Amino acid sequence: MSAPSIVMGRQDYPSVVLRLVGMELYKLRRRTLSRVVGSIAVTLAILLFLLISVATIFTSNAPASSFIQTCQSQTAPGSQPASGPAANCATPPPAVVAQDRHAALQETSAPLRLPDSLNVAVQFALIAGTILIIILVGTIAGGEYSIGTVRLMYTRGPTRTQFLIARLLAAFIIIALGMLLMTILGILSGQLLNPLSGITQNGDFWSTGWAGHALLYLFIGMINWFMYAAIAIFFGTLGRSTAAGIVGALTWFFVEPVLGSLLGFLGGFTPGPFGDFLKAIPDYFIGNNFSALLSDQGQYLFGGSTTSTPAISVMHAVLVLLVYFAFFIGLTWWINERRDVTN
Amino acid sequence: MNENIEIAHQLDCIISTNRLTKAFGKLVAVNDLHLEVMQGDVFGFLGPNGSGKTTTIRMLLGLIRPTAGRVVMFGMDNAYQLPAILQRVGAIVETPVFYPYLSGMDNLFAVAAASGMQSGKANRRRIEEVLELVELRAQAKMAYRKYSLGMKQRLGIAAALLTDPELILLDEPTNGLDPSGMFEIRQLIHRLSELGKTIFLSSHLLNEVQQVCNRVAILQRGNLVKQGHVGELLLGSEQVLVRLNAPEEMQAALATLRSARERGADWIGAIRVETNRQGQPILRIDAPKAHSAEINALLAASNLFAAELHPYEGSLEEVYLQLTAPTLPGERRGMAALAERAFLPEVAGEKKAGLL
Repeated sequence: MSAPSIVMGRQDYPSVVLRLVGMELYKLRRRTLSRVVGSIAVTLAILLFLLISVATIFTSNAPASSFIQTCQSQTAPGSQPASGPAANCATPPPAVVAQDRHAALQETSAPLRLPDSLNVAVQFALIAGTILIIILVGTIAGGEYSIGTVRLMYTRGPTRTQFLIARLLAAFIIIALGMLLMTILGILSGQLLNPLSGITQNGDFWSTGWAGHALLYLFIGMINWFMYAAIAIFFGTLGRSTAAGIVGALTWFFVEPVLGSLLGFLGGFTPGPFGDFLKAIPDYFIGNNFSALLSDQGQYLFGGSTTSTPAISVMHAVLVLLVYFAFFIGLTWWINERRDVTN
Repeated sequence: MNENIEIAHQLDCIISTNRLTKAFGKLVAVNDLHLEVMQGDVFGFLGPNGSGKTTTIRMLLGLIRPTAGRVVMFGMDNAYQLPAILQRVGAIVETPVFYPYLSGMDNLFAVAAASGMQSGKANRRRIEEVLELVELRAQAKMAYRKYSLGMKQRLGIAAALLTDPELILLDEPTNGLDPSGMFEIRQLIHRLSELGKTIFLSSHLLNEVQQVCNRVAILQRGNLVKQGHVGELLLGSEQVLVRLNAPEEMQAALATLRSARERGADWIGAIRVETNRQGQPILRIDAPKAHSAEINALLAASNLFAAELHPYEGSLEEVYLQLTAPTLPGERRGMAALAERAFLPEVAGEKKAGLL
């Protein structure tokens, strides 16, 4: 047996964590699931803008009758509004029809162009992408327990905290890459399909400030994904399985808005302070607080509010979300540290 | 002087557990365990299923926390200095498990990164070395999920050896291996031992342990029932097997030996009459094999001449079975109990000895 040729790396805390991040990303890169999830994300991002372009084509080729709305506005109050050209309406001149068509086309095709395409891409990513991220991160976290590799890894030297930090960092890296990929691909697809509308991209919105807000908007989107990734890691660790991670986070993602609506509805029917209390609960939900942050940036990026979430201040949203992060990551850390690895 | 000896002992002691206890609710899996594994030992860790072997190994590796007691490895307490300890340890705990979607080589790249080795291709040569050592080089690029149980076991050994650790903990390393695979693992353990590695081997295969280990500990229901050098343990199980010319001489021989014991030959233990494979009666005498000639002389003095006389060393398996035999309330344990039982008429002659 000859002398072994081992090249050791640096053993300080950050170096160990970085090496573990590299290991997590290496495993992800080699995993078929990552490729499948990535492909689905890319396909969905492109497909969304293809659908918008199809709507644009329909609008552009719609018959002139679709754009005649002048009669509707001329009908007497209380009477049934007419659809299409009525017998008593004068046929509008072609110039007016063309103007209406242009206005409709402008509206339909706006999501293909910046700045609206950024909003569409990010909002879509926050729905479809979140599900994909939950599946991917839930598999990373719970998979160690499901497969049993946690035993192998925890006997190699790094502390459990280092493994957890590495997993969170790796999750954030794939989230950042995923969000950028879905957004950039979406925007590019929009730009490529926009000529179908015949309306050119306007660059008036652009400024350094706008770019800064756009980056912040993207960052909030990433943090939104990361929250659900943290939830998936928490449930995956708690339940020691991939299924627990995925189901737990997806349940949270889907149940929260339903619960929010239900509480709002019940609050509306319940008079007094208890009703107010019920109505106030959704203000502490993850989704609503992220919507508030995105809406805050949206007014700089797209003008006006992009979501209907009212009355949640940025400070409130940031504090609430920090509490959620502290809760999920802290609890995961605690379980991770205290738990006996027996499987 | 005594202090120096104590320090030298501590330096040589690779694993030391002090009153190590683990309870899962009301079930005490490991109770008050004192273990000492010295540098260069090939230490066999034996016990029936559920005796607490794997729980102990998990406590050594920090996978589970003891309910009481402490583990000191390389002079460091594993409750506080676990990362430093683990860097000097390579381990297989139960059936090794790796990432099924990665190849054997990719799995070792991941293990290398987790073990503090430089990432990337810098350690490719070392990975190839260990794969060569466990004869998996040809299957290095095959996905782990396609590996047979034996291949998985060998990859586990490769991972344990990756960082060239000082201490190697092997929990059932020959599980799933064919006889030639087992032989290779034994050879590998011998080679590692020659290189000065300390090996902690948990196994059910007692013959395997007897062949490779110099010291053993036997665990029963979480309690340590024996710890010591293999030679010392076997000393108590040495026997002398005697076949006489005429079967009717058996009772006379039995009386002669009992009489000698009463007259002061206290090295004669239990004496049993058994039957060998050929159906011939034999005497099985619990006595050090060094006294074989004396037994022959005692019999010859009574005109009883041995047709065959075999000193028998005994086996770890017998020692193990005696020490871990289930006990009934009020029953004496271990060798003494077995020796007593050997004189009962229904027991004598039941055991078919195939040694003569």
